[in-house]
Amino acid sequence: MSEIFTFDNVRFLAQGLGMTIMIALITIVLSIFFGSILAIAKNYGNKFFSKLASAYIELFRCTPNLLWILAIRFMVPIPPLASGVLSFTLFTTAVVAEIIRGGLNSIPKGQFEGAASQGFTFVQTLWYIVLPQCFMKIVPSLLSQMITIIKDTSFLWAVAIEEFTGKSMILMGQLRTGGQVLCLFAVIAGVYFLLNFTLSCVVRKRQEKSAI
Amino acid sequence: MMFRAFMDGPFGPSKWMTLFSDFSEIFLIGFFTTLKVASLGLCLALVLGIVFGVFSTSNSKILRTIARVYVEIWQNTPLVIQIFFLYNGLPRFGLVWSQFVIGVIGVGLYHGAYISEVVRTGIEAIPKGQYEAAASQGFTYLQTMRYIILPQSIKIILPPLTNQALNLVKNTSVLAMIAGGDLMYHADSWSTYKLVYGPTYIVTGMLYFVICYPLSKLAERLEKKSKEDAPAPVGSDDAGKGGAEA
Amino acid sequence: MKNFFKKFVAVATMATMLLTTAACGGSQEAPADGGADAAVVDSVQKIKDRGVLKVGVKVDVPKFGYKNTSTGEVEGFEIDLAKKIAGEILGDESKIEVQAVTAKTRGPLLDNGEIDLVIATFTITEERKETYNFSDPYFTDGVAMLVKKDAGFTGFKDMDGATIGVAQSATSKDALSKAAEEIGITVNFSEFASYPELKAALDSGRIDVFSVDGAILAGYVDESSEILPDRFDPQEYGVASKKSNTDLAETVNKVVNDLKASGEMDTMLAKWELK
Repeated sequence: MSEIFTFDNVRFLAQGLGMTIMIALITIVLSIFFGSILAIAKNYGNKFFSKLASAYIELFRCTPNLLWILAIRFMVPIPPLASGVLSFTLFTTAVVAEIIRGGLNSIPKGQFEGAASQGFTFVQTLWYIVLPQCFMKIVPSLLSQMITIIKDTSFLWAVAIEEFTGKSMILMGQLRTGGQVLCLFAVIAGVYFLLNFTLSCVVRKRQEKSAI
Repeated sequence: MMFRAFMDGPFGPSKWMTLFSDFSEIFLIGFFTTLKVASLGLCLALVLGIVFGVFSTSNSKILRTIARVYVEIWQNTPLVIQIFFLYNGLPRFGLVWSQFVIGVIGVGLYHGAYISEVVRTGIEAIPKGQYEAAASQGFTYLQTMRYIILPQSIKIILPPLTNQALNLVKNTSVLAMIAGGDLMYHADSWSTYKLVYGPTYIVTGMLYFVICYPLSKLAERLEKKSKEDAPAPVGSDDAGKGGAEA
Repeated sequence: MKNFFKKFVAVATMATMLLTTAACGGSQEAPADGGADAAVVDSVQKIKDRGVLKVGVKVDVPKFGYKNTSTGEVEGFEIDLAKKIAGEILGDESKIEVQAVTAKTRGPLLDNGEIDLVIATFTITEERKETYNFSDPYFTDGVAMLVKKDAGFTGFKDMDGATIGVAQSATSKDALSKAAEEIGITVNFSEFASYPELKAALDSGRIDVFSVDGAILAGYVDESSEILPDRFDPQEYGVASKKSNTDLAETVNKVVNDLKASGEMDTMLAKWELK
């Protein structure tokens, strides 16, 4: 045990964990931005934009993430970290768009009429009235999505991006016995668990609050 | 010059030719393995999901705790790590399962946890009064579940359930990491060997799409339906028709 | 049903279009590279202008390319070789930028221009030579087999029905299938993305044999396992570069051959206890 988790190795793993969290944070922020655009296009856009948004969402919903991770890494010549963020943003945007749409649909239609009668334009209504309520409602779903992203970053090792799982795989090259390998992976699983469990507790707190 | 570059490029015609000459032995085998793993995995996930979903709404604290622990552990660790454990960890305890079995059990357990939450939400949406009414009619807890609560929850449960099925199909691709013989594994192995990766990924994507798109449409339709006719008669055969289409 | 089918076709067409657009984005660079200004775009000059040589290396193969967990630097024989090439092209051995590659990613990354060279235990084969330029071999080694001591294998002939683990992009797979055919036994193969994963699979009894080139395998021997004396088709590692970039390929080949002629290559190999 102490052979594996020397100070240097722990620091090495911690860098990987930092990478994982960074990819997850950038991805969720970008996906909320692009997801909002998609959701609004699908819900309120004209036929063309609505169809376009639907097609985008369907495409990414129906193909494995691993495939996009590979495709982006191979087709777009950008550094590993950017490549990871780009591929994750592409498919997470599709998921987040559906979450946001769920939030938008839960806002009573009457609010649009009410706002219009007060002289609000459509964009103003969205920005000042509908979106703030929508985002308050979907915070738990977005946090759940964050958990999914953190877990799924482990796919990135398939293209040699050194996030948390990747760093452990490299570390595995030093280990000589199967017992050590399992021990390492038990710890890795434990760290993922702690991080995600904390997030899921926050999710549950929020859900209970909004249920009342 | 441009023409030559295209011919030699990653998407040149010769690459496509190579792909189609090996199509049936590489892609189709993988495609059917993926289908088999996904369908058996889904069956397991459904069983686990219903059992633990019912557990987490029961009155027994022990059952609720068991369900909670299962859901939290499986939802909060990456599938890649879980599969790795099943593959390399279990043999140390004398359990050597084939990659196929690991695939089924791996994705089954993982999505079982998600489905359990879906089922729990569905059950909790049914008013508490119905339990009391059933009890007053002499129904046991299991009978209440079987005849009264679950049939009503199905309407609420079906759309997110179909989504889970879709994600399950996509997630079988992690089997590629343990030489699982699924579509992704064959595509990976073949493309790195022949150095034909461009067309390979397009074709692989299309094959996954063929499985997932009907599921996605089904989910959409069910969702619309459950919104339109929330109080619709239970057990109508519409869901059955949708299923046949998928 | 009809409506459903129409929608399906619409989205499928959209998907194909999107993918091909992405694809052409990739191949459009190829025309630029192979075009009129090829000499400027895809040559040694381009690397000189950039001032840094981008090399794809392994980060999980001890002795060849391994990321030092203390310093975060990638170290190994292949990195030393990359430095020599940078020294020749840029006059400064420190001007390299290494990027982790796997058997799966090394080809595509070379194609899309993310890296100039692949020095990552890349075996030269006739088939690969049609897609990439390879230098003359800088290292040669036979395919060897690592087995558990208690499995009772004495040689390849005992392995009828055994499962052999090989790395993706399997030249060792070819070598072994050929050998198996010759002596009339059947073996199964499982492919993994990295060597540590292969070792883990051997330890857990998933595979009976872990087979890769001997020098790499030497790094994975422990008390319970041994390398069998059998050796198969020698594997020759070469430095790979983009097919269109003949200029770079010549320069690289010159460096490799100069190092070999002066005996410096042997010193470099000896430093990492190779050969």
